[in-house]
Amino acid sequence: MTQRRFGVWLALVALLLGISTYADTSQAQVRMARINFQQQTLPNGMRVLSAVDHSSPTVAIQVWYHVGSKDDPEGRSGFAHLFEHIMFKATKNMKSEMMDRLTEDVGGFNNAFTNPDVTVYYEVVPSNYLETLLWAEADRLSGLTVDEPNFKSERSVVQEEYRQSYQAPPYGMLDYLIEQQSFTVHPYKRPTIGSIEDLEAASLENVRKFHETFYRPDNATLVVVGDFDPKQLDGWVTKYLAPIPKPAIPLPRVDVKEPERTTERRITHHGANVPLPAIAITYLTPSEKNPDSEALQVAATILGEGDSSRLYRSLIYDQQVAQSADAITDLREDAGVFYFNVVLASEKKPEDVERALLAEIKKIQDAPVSLAELNKAKNQLVTNELTQRETSSGKALALGQSAVLLGDPNRVNTDLARLQAVTAADVQRVMKKYFSANNRLVIYYLPEAAKTTASGGQSK
Amino acid sequence: MKRCKLLVSSFSTGFLVLFALGAFALCDVRAQVPQATPPPPAAPRSAQFPKPVERALVNGLRVVVIDRPGTPLVTAQLVIKNGAEVDPPELAGIGNMLANLVTKGTARRDATQIAQEIEALGGSLYSSARWDSTRIGVDVMSSKIGPALDILADVVRRPTFKADEIDRLRQQTLDDLTVELGEPSSIARYVAARVTFGDAPYGKPLAGTTETITRIDRGDFLKYHGRWYRPDNAILVIGGDIRSINAFTLAQRYFGDWKRPAESLPILPPPKPVADAGSRVIVVDKADAGQAAVMVARTGIERTNPDYFRGVVANSVLSGYSGRLNQEIRIKRGLSYGASSQLDTRRGVGPFVASAQTKNPSAAQVADLLLGEVSRLATAAVPDIELNPRKAVVVGNFARNLETNAGLVSQIATLAVYGINFNEINRYIGNAQGVSASDVQSFAGSHLDAKTTSVVIVGNAKEFLPELRQKYPQVEVIPMSELDLNSALLRKKQPTN
Repeated sequence: MTQRRFGVWLALVALLLGISTYADTSQAQVRMARINFQQQTLPNGMRVLSAVDHSSPTVAIQVWYHVGSKDDPEGRSGFAHLFEHIMFKATKNMKSEMMDRLTEDVGGFNNAFTNPDVTVYYEVVPSNYLETLLWAEADRLSGLTVDEPNFKSERSVVQEEYRQSYQAPPYGMLDYLIEQQSFTVHPYKRPTIGSIEDLEAASLENVRKFHETFYRPDNATLVVVGDFDPKQLDGWVTKYLAPIPKPAIPLPRVDVKEPERTTERRITHHGANVPLPAIAITYLTPSEKNPDSEALQVAATILGEGDSSRLYRSLIYDQQVAQSADAITDLREDAGVFYFNVVLASEKKPEDVERALLAEIKKIQDAPVSLAELNKAKNQLVTNELTQRETSSGKALALGQSAVLLGDPNRVNTDLARLQAVTAADVQRVMKKYFSANNRLVIYYLPEAAKTTASGGQSK
Repeated sequence: MKRCKLLVSSFSTGFLVLFALGAFALCDVRAQVPQATPPPPAAPRSAQFPKPVERALVNGLRVVVIDRPGTPLVTAQLVIKNGAEVDPPELAGIGNMLANLVTKGTARRDATQIAQEIEALGGSLYSSARWDSTRIGVDVMSSKIGPALDILADVVRRPTFKADEIDRLRQQTLDDLTVELGEPSSIARYVAARVTFGDAPYGKPLAGTTETITRIDRGDFLKYHGRWYRPDNAILVIGGDIRSINAFTLAQRYFGDWKRPAESLPILPPPKPVADAGSRVIVVDKADAGQAAVMVARTGIERTNPDYFRGVVANSVLSGYSGRLNQEIRIKRGLSYGASSQLDTRRGVGPFVASAQTKNPSAAQVADLLLGEVSRLATAAVPDIELNPRKAVVVGNFARNLETNAGLVSQIATLAVYGINFNEINRYIGNAQGVSASDVQSFAGSHLDAKTTSVVIVGNAKEFLPELRQKYPQVEVIPMSELDLNSALLRKKQPTN
């Protein structure tokens, strides 16, 4: 995920890392309130989802556009995200940064993020400003009037974002490689942030065309959660959003299929600023709509979440070969990637750590996880979800994700049951199904200085 | 044309009208075409903040409970009222390492059992030392709070500090330091602390250095734990979906028989900066840095300073998305993904830091812009049309921070650590709104003088040093390989031949 402003919002991180939505359970010990939402689709194709919550005098407003970095124009990697930044510049009726005047200046906030599949704009404002923000969202959906100097300046900001996220931190380029190398054909192979060169090539004409192609009411979902009156909301939606015309031209959709991997691939990358060597192993997994998604999330939690996880206990605690060890299921719309990202403890060899990691994968394939591990993982996932749903914006994110990415807003209330239904046999089955040697990409990420000394893997 | 009204907030005990500010922001917009101007806001609505209740146990432990029904989550935090500031200089990092170590084995559970038990509850146990306090806490579903408190009490009261766990954690801590010192912004933060506080307590690296971490032995841990981890130096804060009567019962059950040591608690004066620290310009030359971290730093104020709210508002004029630093550095010039500043108020005088990351060639320009904005705060009054929205930001951030259990508990714990009355929560908005443009200017004049502010840049020096040197001939350049965070000299001693 790449977002307009620098900052950490845990709920978003959780969403991105594929912690899906769970609600409503029969298990007595887990109470999770239903999100009682309303939904309608306007004649222009825009979908509206809303849920009332008066616990704080604020309202969360989100507009989900079903366009992400997989829709970047050819030769313009990073464009969907750059465009997200441009959406805060001038429109017909708003000067640059006026969104900030309408949110930040009245005690609220706004931000936006882009991932491979969606671009989401969000605000939290005192609830008496809801109508104002609906007007503003309608205005920027209707068109942009950004000029050349503002465009170029924001493009430089995004280039600095690239440096700050990928070049300054020690393992930033490893994250970049995981994204870039895991796919070979599907446009997911272009990291969301793009490249400095492609960003430099982007033009105002690209901006105009991208808005025209993807920023249209039938590609947008408005989510409103918080302190509002549903009748008033309906009136404002009718007044501000319903009049925006639906274009006649069809919406382009990516239909490229990533082929199955047929043999193990290995990459060695020597990077600047690598304090300790690292390795990553990635496996392709199916679309997040696939019923195996929940079992994959449980598997990732058992393997990588917390000090009692298998990777922590084995690689960090018992064998002491790793400084950190993550197991992440990056669920996406078309195809996902499940990856392990391990920074080595000092003076350890990548070959040995790879062996230790593969042994853990084999273990979870060879024998079912214990009931205690299974329940622990479910409790961890439910607690994460409860934490996300503490705020209106967290609830709105859960709703938006269900509607736009999972294709059914009701999933916000039914996914908890799907999670509870996952068995130890399911976890073992998905581990066997997707974690084969042929479905493996292995990345060695080594310091520049290690170039002279031979180490495993082939050179890139 | 609309007629613009400035809404005035009303205030009564426990109730607040939030977000009354900012209506003016829409006032200069011309109304002509119906759709061409934003519709004005409706009347603001009121909010109520939850009220903490507290009791002291016989052993001196202060217990604070905030009952907020709703999401079925509870956060419990055991706060030790000292943190890294009491680490002996030669053992810097001991407080943070000890906070971690207590979760690695007790008289009743080994490291694996602790992790398994707490995570089986769906919770997580976190522990770290910060400045002025150490926090060990759990976030769990309400139904699991009893067993979670059992584990929390066990790790705080009965850690065993086994030798193999010390060795393991030492190696992990050293590797963590290696990784952290690969990041330009982390290096800049550590150097800025040394530059601001010299060899005084807040000048140390909070997590220690290779040398100090290697030096700490089991006896040091036992001594530190015995001295600071005691009920009369601790506060237990429990907040969320839990009845206060139940919370007090659980606190008594798990902490009631925690013995207060016979010897009295050491009383230390609040940490003071070294008087002659002065301002410096330092470049840490890290040739492989993909971006430069630029920081300007100086002393600020202590948390109990009567100027606290003036400082908070002054800082918000500079910081935040639409603050002056971002206006100048990001929005106007595209030089950074984000610039910000922090007025970090502590028991003693804490630091004020403004920072941004930028491509190496623009590092000197960004340093100038940061210093220029700090300086401008003292030389000219902030116009009200700018000040009022910044106050709205302060109020909004404050209120949102209290929306989550973790935020609420953390905020209450901080007030408790500094001995501030919990009523400040209900006075916060009024206090922030009461700050005037001249308050901000005089605060900046007396506490944020740019002339005595230091500059720290970590990056590839050859790309910005010539430009920087023109303005600051006194610049000290330290190659990364010679950087030494163990003292304010910041440079490894050259071997004497």
